Amino acid sequence: MIELGHLAAFLALAASLAQGVLGLMGARALAGRAALVAFGVMSLSFLTLVVAFARSDFSLALVANNSHTLKPMLYKIAGTWGNHEGSMALWCLVTLGFGGAGALWMRTGRDVFEARTLGVQGWLATGALSYLLFASSPYLRLDPAPLQGAGLNPILQDPALAFHPPMLYLGYVGFSFVFALAAAGLMEARIDRVWAREARRWALAAFVPLTIGIALGSYWAYYELGWGGWWFWDPVENASLMPWLIGAALLHSVAVTEKRGNFAAWTALLAVLAFLFSVMGAFLVRSGVLTSVHAFAVDPKRGMVLLTGLVVYGTFALGLFALRAPKLEGGKPWQMLSREGALAVNNVVLVVAALTVLLGTLFPLMAEAAGRTISVGEPYFRLTFVPMLAALLAILPVVQVWSWGKADLSMLWKWAAGGVALVAVFLALGVGLWDIPLGAAFGLALGVWLLFGSVGELRRRAVTWGRVFRMPLRVWGMTLAHIGLGVFVIGAVVETTQRYEATLALPAGGSGTVAGWNITLKDVHAIEGPNWYADKADITARRGSAKAEMAPTKRYYPAARMPTTETAIHKTGTGDLYVALGDRRDVDGETRWVFRVYFNPLIDFVYLGVLLMGLGAFFSLLPVRRKPA
Amino acid sequence: MILLRGMFLSIAACALALTCMAQALEDPAEEARAQALMRELRCVACENEPISQSSASIAEDMRARVRTMVGEGASDDEVRDWFESRYGEFVLFRPTGKGLSGLLLWGAPFGLLIVGGLIAFGVARRRQAGASEVEPVAPEDV
Repeated sequence: MIELGHLAAFLALAASLAQGVLGLMGARALAGRAALVAFGVMSLSFLTLVVAFARSDFSLALVANNSHTLKPMLYKIAGTWGNHEGSMALWCLVTLGFGGAGALWMRTGRDVFEARTLGVQGWLATGALSYLLFASSPYLRLDPAPLQGAGLNPILQDPALAFHPPMLYLGYVGFSFVFALAAAGLMEARIDRVWAREARRWALAAFVPLTIGIALGSYWAYYELGWGGWWFWDPVENASLMPWLIGAALLHSVAVTEKRGNFAAWTALLAVLAFLFSVMGAFLVRSGVLTSVHAFAVDPKRGMVLLTGLVVYGTFALGLFALRAPKLEGGKPWQMLSREGALAVNNVVLVVAALTVLLGTLFPLMAEAAGRTISVGEPYFRLTFVPMLAALLAILPVVQVWSWGKADLSMLWKWAAGGVALVAVFLALGVGLWDIPLGAAFGLALGVWLLFGSVGELRRRAVTWGRVFRMPLRVWGMTLAHIGLGVFVIGAVVETTQRYEATLALPAGGSGTVAGWNITLKDVHAIEGPNWYADKADITARRGSAKAEMAPTKRYYPAARMPTTETAIHKTGTGDLYVALGDRRDVDGETRWVFRVYFNPLIDFVYLGVLLMGLGAFFSLLPVRRKPA
Repeated sequence: MILLRGMFLSIAACALALTCMAQALEDPAEEARAQALMRELRCVACENEPISQSSASIAEDMRARVRTMVGEGASDDEVRDWFESRYGEFVLFRPTGKGLSGLLLWGAPFGLLIVGGLIAFGVARRRQAGASEVEPVAPEDV
């Protein structure tokens, strides 16, 4: 069975190679067929891996090392990509999937260009498949086969985590197709409006799952690690944030190219960078140069292969860019204060923000090479990244109104007055009434400003409220994404500045008070699951008439000899009451249990905001009905 | 895996120390300042955690030290310097801005912003020079 999969992967490699050669020769139809064949056989190959995991076939080394018969079926299947080799197989599958999708759905009417795109994608697939087959093969057998597997890393046994990697990979690898489009466009020195319309769709197709993937990862970290926060500026989180920021810049830049023919070179550069940042993320995570939760199957040799790939892709694309960028044609004229100018600012800030994240992530490594150990944590990003983006968001509602070519500045004083009034209201409310820090008051004003701005712009374009729902999907997409930013800002500001945390050590029957909630521990008892056993605490939380039964649990997975925290979260409507069970302590002959209790106000706004951004991008991706001529 | 296991062992070790509810400072302003400092000092026994969150015993000691120093009137920088001299730069989640590397780390983002802004400005001016009469076009669907 698995040998069939192994063979299929080799066939996929051959088909990808054919796709690469035929594509660069300009044979659109043949390259397209090769891409579909490659995707077909790779799907089969991946399926054999999934089946091996589902059937717990321990004669396969990968299954033996990463699975266990007692695991629930969902995690057996998700275990296929919950390890290095399997996740690389998924990477290959998605790369080929985008190639096949491109073969079917590219619509530019330019055969040679599309053939070359498929060609470049074929070479990217060839690289990925070679890495899979020759440097990290998931198809190796074990003889004799062990009777039981070593189990999947328990903290990965979680529904959000089962779908987080596929989503993230759809995003990362989706940018490979955008990369291919940019390379093919640069080859013929034609990055124009037709190119941009095509590239934009694929950039959105990558951006949507990347956004959802980041949200899932963040939500998982929130409830599974038991640390109460939703973003830790962990190197791996940063590795996914960087392509997202570049992707966001790309989506704004490609709109300029599509509508006005401008920013052609810059858009092509961003299209290349989005994928390079994705590969770099994979390199940082997989090479083990950064220590992190995700650094399973760390291997410096593999890191070297990935790094080589990154350098090869980068040299090729950036070299091509340097040769062809001067030959690209400009579009319609524009003045400094115009929609184009505003989007140029958007792009500068988003790219510098991505570079700041890169610097903060790599700086400890560079310092270590120089013999120093340095930490770069949340305070660094709070003082550099956050003000940068806050300033960008502050101008968003104002410049969103501007026209292409030349802005109408006659309304500027109204915007200024509105902004000042809003800040004044929130300063008065915040500092006076709510007693929150100055920065939080500004942050809330910013969030509300974004909400008003986004809805106001929708209304302005629709002219009357009645016509709002007849606006094009793309306008709705933009509006939802920008509303999402506002919702996210409000959630992030309130959660980070108003979070309340405490540690309680309770005996059975004891109680304590956190953020107005009276927490009573009824009892702790031992329970058993399919592949774990656990201590489960029964807690009653009361505040006024509100009452919640909560059961924070600490699981122990014998196969992996590892504990995990199952936090209990009670949604109160204004926030999360969050309880994580810690260890048992014996104090003076009395047994006490340690609980970490948080109240995270408006945390759902953080996730809702990110999901709205993803939903907005999805709306923009939906096909538009052609207007009757 | 080994790293992971190490991480969980250290968390387990962290959770063993219990007395996390140390005496808060009497002056709320001082306590707030101490807590802000605790959020930017790294627990030296845990994985990527500030001492404000960690329940390791070493973090407990570090928190007590922060409170003592703040209570005795030490400035934020004095507290940071003390921890840096004791545990090394590693302990500071907010890396120091001193020296060439500090300048690079803290200066680069804003330097890049200025450089990027100047480039955009230059391009915009070139485009503008060629565009004496620009017709504004309302954005349709983006």
